[in-house]
This record gives sequence, structure tokens and C-alpha cells, in this order.
Amino acid sequence: MESGAGESSATADDYESLMSTTDAELLKRSWRNEKAAPEILKFDSDLVLRSRQQIQLMEEMVEEFTRNGVDPLTVSLYQMDLDRTLFLLRSYMRTRLQKIEKYVFHIDKTAELWNRLSKQEQKFAKRCAGDLKNHLEQSVLSKLPDQYQSYLRQSAASEDDDMVPEPKLDAYVVCRSKKYLGAFQLDDGGDEPVTIEADDLYALPYKSIKPLVETGQIDLV
Amino acid sequence: MYGRKASELVKELASSEPGQLSSFNNDLFAQVLEECNGHLHHLQPLMRKIQEHENKLKDTGRSEDEMGNSEDERRKSEAAKTVIQAAMKSDQFGALVHHLSLVRNKRCLMAYVYNRAEVIRSLGWMCDRVLPAEIEERLSSTEEEYFKNHAATLQSYMGGLDLDLTVDMVPPKDPYIKVRVVDDMGGVLLGDQTANVARHAIMFLRRIDAEQYITQGQMEELTG
Repeated sequence: MESGAGESSATADDYESLMSTTDAELLKRSWRNEKAAPEILKFDSDLVLRSRQQIQLMEEMVEEFTRNGVDPLTVSLYQMDLDRTLFLLRSYMRTRLQKIEKYVFHIDKTAELWNRLSKQEQKFAKRCAGDLKNHLEQSVLSKLPDQYQSYLRQSAASEDDDMVPEPKLDAYVVCRSKKYLGAFQLDDGGDEPVTIEADDLYALPYKSIKPLVETGQIDLV
Repeated sequence: MYGRKASELVKELASSEPGQLSSFNNDLFAQVLEECNGHLHHLQPLMRKIQEHENKLKDTGRSEDEMGNSEDERRKSEAAKTVIQAAMKSDQFGALVHHLSLVRNKRCLMAYVYNRAEVIRSLGWMCDRVLPAEIEERLSSTEEEYFKNHAATLQSYMGGLDLDLTVDMVPPKDPYIKVRVVDDMGGVLLGDQTANVARHAIMFLRRIDAEQYITQGQMEELTG
């Protein structure tokens, strides 16, 4: 993905800033955020599409290299890069699917979360919810008295859906910002605002930094 | 005691090794379901009684209005009201106990099934489509059904995406890895050629080729 040859003359700083905007780096960032965040984040469809195109390109390149008998070491380096990108992409998609599986009812009934899924993921979630609902109904719910058969509510007397597992948004996450963000008020109030310095690590409740994660000002690690 | 069996069910789940399945406890599960129906049997007459009491209360209230204001009568109806109210209270509390026990049992049953479903899904990631026999016999019939449905759902997602997500479970360090063959495998497709692989052979393979056999337990990776 990164062409190693061109940058040798550039300074380390330029190199860093260039590197941080390549798709590989962006994908890595999305992947890390997705891994660390308790809830599902917005699907980066453009990035995934670009990455997949890149991967295809690289696959073709590796194939051509092997056919033309290019130095095996070079080929294996390219292959390694390819493998890593593929892993990132797969792991990214996989992490999302596992979150969907886990909180499928919650995502299904919350429009905001539902819209974060890609088309295919929505299809997957629909089927997934259907499967799980069937399973629960067949094993438990159909055998219970009428008023207690909902999979969302404990009984007909409950006022809202009180049986849906939800992600714990107040879980602490470790995060880091590339820029100085200044004083930041955690929304549980009371405490002093936290001053977020560039490149420092912080452990904060996910709920309070959620907007920063969504706008990409802060990265989860 | 109400709800004890259900809590045993959940305890069994909690004490089992994370990510592993024990046999589906059909016996206990059925007993808890029975207990639920028992609660309903108690609950329904109680609800009826409460309804009756309410009606009676209304009636006495109405007759109170109709009848004159004679001191004696008013005192009598007042007394009757307290009796009815007391009876109603005890029925209400009785009903509440049964209702809460039922809800609790339901939560326990759901937790049992739901958490097992979670493990089943995670198994789905590790071995696609076919479960090893020793795990399969621990599932209930609906769980087997669920596993199949879920695997199909996952498969259709990956098919639509044209990307196999079940490989590459660990970050790749090296494109080649050293593996030992654990099983007699016969002819195996490696890359674009078939190789005859004998048991206990130690080989240097492309990671992507070897990975599927490692997850199936036919090869093991040699590290260090």
C-alpha cells in the first residue's frame, strides 16, 4: 500500500503526516476505534471500498511478480503487506459483525444505530435478529404464559423494553488525541475538566468522549 | 422456595468455563417452566379475586350514596369496606409475589438460553457450518437449529460481500509458517497444487493455505 521508495528523501515529519492519511493508516484507525468502542460505530463504506480495490490491485501485482519471476524476497514483502491489509479489513468487518450479533435487538430498535450499518450489515442484522428471536421463542417464550411472551419486555406490565441487552456506554476506554484539544468537560459534571494534550493517553468513560470519537478528534487505542 | 431452580440454572451457566458449553440442562429447564405455569395458576384466581373485590368496593360505595345518612348504616358499610380492602391487599401482595417470581424465572430462562446462544455464535466463527459431534450433542434441538440458521446468515453475508471473514483470526506476522500435521489428511490443496500430506510431517507453508486446517485442528502451528 505505501510505496516505500519515494519517501527516502523527505524528512521524517513529512513522512509521518503523509503516512497518517494513507488508507492503510485510516483503516487501522477505524479498526482500532471499532475494537475499543463499546457500541457500534459508523460504517466507513468509502474507506472499505477503497481498501478492497487496493487489495485487489495488490493481489494482481503479486501474481504478476510471481509470473515474471521477480525476486522472491520482494514478492514476499508485498505479500506480507497484502496479508496485513487483508487482516485489518477482515478484522474490522468481523468486529462489527460480532457487535451486531451481540446487541442485535438493541440495534434493531434504535434508528440511530441502525443507520450506522452498511446495507449488507443491515440485511445480516435483520436475519440475525430473526434467528435469535425464533430461537428464544421456541426454547422459552412459547412455553410461558401469554403476558410473558415478549422478548423485549419482562411482562405485559412493563412500560418499556426492559429485556434488551445494551452496550455499556459508561465503560472506560483508553484514548489519545493527535492535537491539543484543551479543557474538556466530562458530562457527568462535578469534576474538573480534563485538559487533553496531544499524544497523551487518557482513560475516560466512553460516553463522555463519544462526540470526539465520532468527529475523529480523538482515537481509541 | 420460588425461583431457586431458575437461579441454579443461571449459576450453572456462570460456573462453566467461559466460551465453553455444557450439556443443555433439559431437566432443570423443564422444571423451571413448570414452576412458571404453577405461578400462573396461582396468579389467575388471585387476579380474579382482586377484580371481585374492586367491584364489591364500588358496589358498597354506590349503595352508601343511595342509602341515607343514618349514622349506624354508614358505620356498618365503613366496616365492610375495611374488610374488603384488607382482603384485597393480601390478594394483591400474593399476586405480586407470583408475578415477580414469574418475571424472575423468565429472566433466568432467557439468560440461560441467550448466553448459550452467544457461545454457539462464537463457535460459529471457529468452525464453519459443521459442529464437532461432541459439542453438537450438548445442544438442545432448537439450539442446533439456531446454529444452522445463524451459520447460513453469516454465510450469506460473506457471500454478498465476497470476502471470507472466518480466516485471518490472528494478525499475520509472517507470510509463511511452520506447521505440524496432526491428522492423516491425504491430498491437500496448497496454493494451486495438491500435495500429499502425511501425518506428523513438519512443513513450511503459506499462512493463508494452512490457516483453515489449523482451525479445523488438522494441523498445528509450531512457534518459537
